Amino acid sequence: MIEQLPQQLVNGLTLGGVYALLALGYSMVYGVLRLLNFAHGDVFMVGAFVGQGVLALLLADNGGNGEAALALPPWAVIAAMLLAAMLVSGALGVAIELVAYRPLRAAPRLSPLLGSLGVSFFLQNAVLLIASARPRAVATERLLPAELGFGLGTAQLSPVRLLVMFSAVALMVALHVLVRRSRLGRAMRAVAVDRDAAAMMGVDVDRVIAGTFFLGWALAGAAGVLMGLVFNRVWHLMGFTAGLKGFTAAVVGGIGSMPGAMAGGLLLGLAAGIVSPTYKDLIAFALLLLVLLLRPAGLFGQGARPKV
Amino acid sequence: MGELKIGQDRWAAEAAARSDRRRQRWSEIVRRVETANPLLLVGALAALGAVVVAAGNDYLLRVAAMACVMAILALGLSVIVGLVGLLDLGYIAFAAVGGYTYALLSSDQLGVQLPSWAGLSLAVLLAVGMALLLALPALRLSGDHLAIVTLGFAQVVLLLAVSMSRVAVPWSTTPLNVTGGPNGIVGIARIRLLGWEVAGQRPSFILLLAVLGLLFLGLTALDRSPLGRAWRATREDALAAAALGLPVRQLKLLAVAAGAATAGLGGALYAAWQGAVFPTDFGLDVLLTLYAMMLLGGLGSLPGAVLGALLLAVVPELLRSPATAHMLFYGGLAVALLSVGRRGAVALGLAALLGVLVRLTAPWLWSDAVTIQGWLAVPRDATTAGNLAFVAAVGLLLAASRVRRAPVQVVLLALALYGLIFAWEVRLAEQPSVARQLLFGAALVILVIYRPYGLLGRPRVEVG
Repeated sequence: MIEQLPQQLVNGLTLGGVYALLALGYSMVYGVLRLLNFAHGDVFMVGAFVGQGVLALLLADNGGNGEAALALPPWAVIAAMLLAAMLVSGALGVAIELVAYRPLRAAPRLSPLLGSLGVSFFLQNAVLLIASARPRAVATERLLPAELGFGLGTAQLSPVRLLVMFSAVALMVALHVLVRRSRLGRAMRAVAVDRDAAAMMGVDVDRVIAGTFFLGWALAGAAGVLMGLVFNRVWHLMGFTAGLKGFTAAVVGGIGSMPGAMAGGLLLGLAAGIVSPTYKDLIAFALLLLVLLLRPAGLFGQGARPKV
Repeated sequence: MGELKIGQDRWAAEAAARSDRRRQRWSEIVRRVETANPLLLVGALAALGAVVVAAGNDYLLRVAAMACVMAILALGLSVIVGLVGLLDLGYIAFAAVGGYTYALLSSDQLGVQLPSWAGLSLAVLLAVGMALLLALPALRLSGDHLAIVTLGFAQVVLLLAVSMSRVAVPWSTTPLNVTGGPNGIVGIARIRLLGWEVAGQRPSFILLLAVLGLLFLGLTALDRSPLGRAWRATREDALAAAALGLPVRQLKLLAVAAGAATAGLGGALYAAWQGAVFPTDFGLDVLLTLYAMMLLGGLGSLPGAVLGALLLAVVPELLRSPATAHMLFYGGLAVALLSVGRRGAVALGLAALLGVLVRLTAPWLWSDAVTIQGWLAVPRDATTAGNLAFVAAVGLLLAASRVRRAPVQVVLLALALYGLIFAWEVRLAEQPSVARQLLFGAALVILVIYRPYGLLGRPRVEVG
């Protein structure tokens, strides 16, 4: 039990990185729109499929001698997978926002939530129609052979897990810089505080919201690629539970707070990695309930006072 | 209406008056239904039921019985979400508790065979107890946090149903099979009440319909009582309701209990009717369907919940047989195009022209790569072509909905139409279950955009 702990820590950190990326997107969208976006996990799934598609494309066997070879060096393939998935997911997110969410800005609170459930259903079944119900294999082994890994005490650090941790941290740092330093980031924070006031100060709210969706869903797409690499497969239902975990992480950390989303994701990943896999959903739920009861605003939340 | 204001165009005024009249007629219907004697509505239901019983084929009875179960569940959901405004995404778990409790108490799974009345009451009690256990801590949360906690709760209940097939018990060495895991519990005894054994489709349907009618009457009475008004006040503004001296917390707990009792009863009756329960009977897709039913009927309207449930339980059944599915698909396309107006008609003409052109030139251009099926030219790799056509059609439709310039929009629509028909013929018609769910998702999005208050709902202003 105890000698497995370091390995479980590594696994938990990997999973936590993916959850944190998902939670960040959730948190950003919730921040500007107060929308529980149930389609988030499904765009994550689409991102995973795009990554798998790019990998399969670049693995095409040249010469036809059976042995498929990479058309590019591994780092370039991974970069291409991540970039393609982020672009497609981000663009998809903007399109979904335009068609399904923008008409509902003034609608009752329940409407966008149900609309996002509809989008989630549609995406799942569209992918099911196109890719069939059988999970698709992701040839991680070709990209990052396990021999490259090294042991750390009793834990085995495989290259995939290193990649996931590294990319997750890099993306989070990039996002942090973007939100803190750029014009778009400042506008996003302004809209999150008060949409009407921001509009009156000359912020183009529609564009800021579209930008937020793009960023949030690009992160989800990247998370999808990483998840596919870790588990060696992608399938059309992978988005739902992952999305739920991402949201749980966002709420645990304090929704709307970015450091909170990161902390929540890592916490959830560690809890899921250390406890037995069968009951990890139970653990996630217990953790959620505990945090919300003790600190209803989440670990890093500001504790919004109701506006009357 | 006749008076023209200065600066107002006559045509615009007439159009506005027309749309006003139409809206007024509809809100008049809504008002009538709202204030109607609930016995009348139950009478209408009974008449509908009598027709089904008289027509009496087994398939029809099964569909009707399923519609009744969904309507019962939608009623309970409508109390929690519609009347009190608690966004409860764990509602389906209450039905699961009811169904599994009844199943365990009236099958060989644990070797317990209680009489039906005891099984049903225990199912309801346990569902209510479970709901209160969840609600007591969870009601401290508001809005979205409540939604996510209840959703997590539903996932956990589902997880327990799947994983409790090998439970270690202290007094025995062999693990106890409680829920049967994914295989569920089968061989559940029929309901036997006052010496009447409910066997066969016809009596089951009559029982379910009777329960639905009674529940509808009871909940409507609650809804129209001072309690119902207090619930609505809580929904509109909990802070103001509390300031008026209403016991907001107790009101919410009471609504959760009423909803959970309905769900527990619905779940138990469902288990008895089906003779078995499986974890998938209480999955998230069922919850989503219930939400869609409630929303279609109108949030906060009990007759709306029943109407929505009946509509959504029956219409997808029509998609099962290929012939009616084709009819519905093309009929739906025609209605959608008509509602777009003249541009739709032009687009349809263009799409037909495109179809004829492709049909005539394709065999000549790529003679060996296409086959002719009906009036479509299908490439050899039909699956890929159909998938591409589907993605392209969805993209084109999205683009068409954003473009304002008429010629561009018409061309986009025509292309989308051709792609959609191609994808339907080549891919979607082969996979009716996928097609149904795709349609369901798209319909949900369109519904919340164009009728956010549902068929029998009332527009209202939200606070905060």
